[in-house]
Amino acid sequence: MNRRDYLIRKLGLALVTIFVVVIINFLLFRVLPGDPVRSVIGRNVRISADTQQALREQFGLDKPIFPDQFLDTLGQWARGNLGVSWSLRKPVNEILLSKLWNTLLLIGIGQILAILLGVTLGLIAGWKRKSAVDVGALTFSLIAWATPTFWLGIILLAAGSTWLGLPTGGIVSPANVGKPLYTVIPDVAHHLILPTLTLTILYLGEYMLIMRSSILEVLSEDYILTAKAKGMSHWQVLRKHALKNAMLPIVTLIALNLGFTVSGAIYIETVFSYDGLGKMFQIALVKQDYPLLQGAFLLLAISVIIANMLADILYTYLDPRVKAT
Amino acid sequence: MSKSRWLFTIFLALAVLLTACGPKATPAPENPVSTSAVTQAPASGTTEPVVLRIGWLGAPDTLNPAYAFLVESFTVFDLAYSTLTTQAPTGEYVGNLAKDWSVSDDGLTWTFTLKDGIKWHNGEDFKASDMAWAINAVMSNPDGWAAVSNYVAGFSEITAPDDKTVTITTEYPVSNMDYRVSWLYAVYPKDFEGFTTSEDLQNFTNFDIVGTGPFKMNTFDKDKGILILDTNPEYFDGKAKIDQVIFQTFDNSDAMIQAIKVGDIDMIIDVPQSAFASLKDVAGVEPVSVDGSYFDELIINSVPANHDPAPTKNPALDDPQVRLALAQSINKQDLVQIVMQDLGKPGVTIVPPTLGGGYWTNTDIQDIPFDLTAANDTLEKAGYVMGADGVRAKGDMRLEFRLQFPSDNPVYARSADMLTSWFGQAGIKTTPEAVDPDSLYAQMTPTGDFDLVLWGWGPDPDPDFILSVLTSDQFVDGGWSDSGYMNPAYDQLYLDQQAATDKAQRRQIIFKMQKIAFDDRPYIVLYYQDLLRAYRSDRFTGFIASPIGIESYQSLLQVEPVN
Repeated sequence: MNRRDYLIRKLGLALVTIFVVVIINFLLFRVLPGDPVRSVIGRNVRISADTQQALREQFGLDKPIFPDQFLDTLGQWARGNLGVSWSLRKPVNEILLSKLWNTLLLIGIGQILAILLGVTLGLIAGWKRKSAVDVGALTFSLIAWATPTFWLGIILLAAGSTWLGLPTGGIVSPANVGKPLYTVIPDVAHHLILPTLTLTILYLGEYMLIMRSSILEVLSEDYILTAKAKGMSHWQVLRKHALKNAMLPIVTLIALNLGFTVSGAIYIETVFSYDGLGKMFQIALVKQDYPLLQGAFLLLAISVIIANMLADILYTYLDPRVKAT
Repeated sequence: MSKSRWLFTIFLALAVLLTACGPKATPAPENPVSTSAVTQAPASGTTEPVVLRIGWLGAPDTLNPAYAFLVESFTVFDLAYSTLTTQAPTGEYVGNLAKDWSVSDDGLTWTFTLKDGIKWHNGEDFKASDMAWAINAVMSNPDGWAAVSNYVAGFSEITAPDDKTVTITTEYPVSNMDYRVSWLYAVYPKDFEGFTTSEDLQNFTNFDIVGTGPFKMNTFDKDKGILILDTNPEYFDGKAKIDQVIFQTFDNSDAMIQAIKVGDIDMIIDVPQSAFASLKDVAGVEPVSVDGSYFDELIINSVPANHDPAPTKNPALDDPQVRLALAQSINKQDLVQIVMQDLGKPGVTIVPPTLGGGYWTNTDIQDIPFDLTAANDTLEKAGYVMGADGVRAKGDMRLEFRLQFPSDNPVYARSADMLTSWFGQAGIKTTPEAVDPDSLYAQMTPTGDFDLVLWGWGPDPDPDFILSVLTSDQFVDGGWSDSGYMNPAYDQLYLDQQAATDKAQRRQIIFKMQKIAFDDRPYIVLYYQDLLRAYRSDRFTGFIASPIGIESYQSLLQVEPVN
């Protein structure tokens, strides 16, 4: 199979997956217990039974799930319209887009840092196995990987705000809302330090451990011994022979993690009151806001599928065996 | 420098570097409603504006009073809008826009006279016809004005005979007019004209509020959780001593507590009970605890057996002696100390002592004391014999009940465990079970499929609402009766109190209703929760601590910087 056929097959599979996800999305939230109208208004003493019924009609919940609600939803989506959020009263497309940028900013920087540091640490630890560096990095990574997100976030928030004067939450200071970008950017960077640091520490351990075990496995291969026997320097062996092969599991991991990036780091966004997709997911679920939930899960599914496709494509370059299968 | 600190510093440096060089910082505000920058010259014209920064755990859902559901929206309305009357920190109703008011002898026509010098935030004069327009808008489209339409029930005509007078004519005498009009905001007519459908009206977010209140809108960026209000220098009752109020949303209480500790914010609206004690030791922070009106209760399935649909419950719950034994088995003092962490008061009647400053609470009702021996005696005398398994039974009617509670509040799980232990000692077996709140509601109203449920209420300032939740006609789909209690005598008294324009007479009726509810026990009120707030006492002073909160407009009008 050549690369083009391989890609076409992958693309076809991705489209089928998205369609299945759309249907599951629709069904999944409707089997949740409870009444969305009640979830949106809460135990609100001002809302009479008649008003609740009026809201139900407004949301289209008075119609049968099949075929009316299902066809309405599919029709809307086919037109690229994800509907209007019941709880926020705004188009879902608009909400998702605004949150997506914030989340990409936070997770993107955190992931890049975690990848750079984790892979480097893993490489050094694997190469210098059983050295003090290896033991230190391994211990740190295991602890970092096992640390509960919420706990680490709160600890860093308390330490950072008390000793370094870093902000306790939000994405921008109230004083800078509506100010020009040159004022806002340093402020946003200031607000990003603690959540980014939390995210970096949490992911770093994972990358380090995978990279370390991967490099150890590669280093035990015969071709590494051959390379060494040819008189290549350590650095040359590492760069030309070990690194490329050891990167394969990391590529998978990066793809998986990036895919889930859009779901945001729910805990981190909650600890730091960060206005991103993760926090929005949680609110939408609590409020049983079907249009918002469906839109958010569709976005999540598409991003995971795209990230996996990218990983597959990258594999064809990194590992020539892949396109032949 | 130790290795860990070295690593920490490297991380920080990298984070700063990368964030500073990062991509697009953040999108422009989705609703760019800012009318002026935050640090623009404040209303008072001083060089350094006095800004009160308030942290809260929510944000307004909308700033449109027609369709606002969340308490945060009403906090903002309280500051930016005005109403004819308002609840004072002492609990009674006093004039706000209205200087005084009176009712005709037949109780059907109310006349409100407005104060002088009232202006809209945009500088225009406020006229009685504006107020009349606002109330008429609600009356003519109750579906659209869903959030406040309950308050105009029975209104027939609103007029403004001159610029200073508003008259409200009703179809029948309305006893609590002062309370009702305190929820009818004077909205700016030009903002709310021209909506052809209810949906259009409700989709209007009104982020640029034009009102007559002591604070006026500067910015509301909902996504960033920031709401800024400036002092209204033209406020008819005298301007505030602070220049600006900033509300900042936190998504978790730990971060908010940390923010007030380090001085990022000056005041907190929702202090969790678990954090309250820790704030007492922080220099410069004053935690405030005042009696509140929220209460939690044990709901006993009171749906009559002949109701259609028939309730699914243990019939032993219909026995008044079993209800009495349940009441005797509850140690409310322990619940307050352990579950409420001593930040509450044992509950007695469904009308909390904070409503109307205690005017409406029947203090003659003596609570059933906690006494497990008495509970056992009560059941023994009623014929419930202790079984070998420690559960009492009368014939084949075992005292074994479901004890359910909404899963979204951990407090109930703890209360349920304590109740189960006490009930067990009286020979009553209960099985605690957390249930999704919506499912629990659906299971209760109007299905009646439950035995005992733990839940709570946050009553309106007037007793009318909390009294209504025990009326028969509320036990319908979408209604507010969760107990299924049905008592024609109680229902009649409920209607009587609505029509009693004489306050003292109404009070007596309400006292009777509380006594009936207490004796019949559809609810056993467990405790009233304290209202918890905190502020930076090293920066601000003058807050009025009362059941309406230190964030009320009356309180913020008094607040001033320490220096």
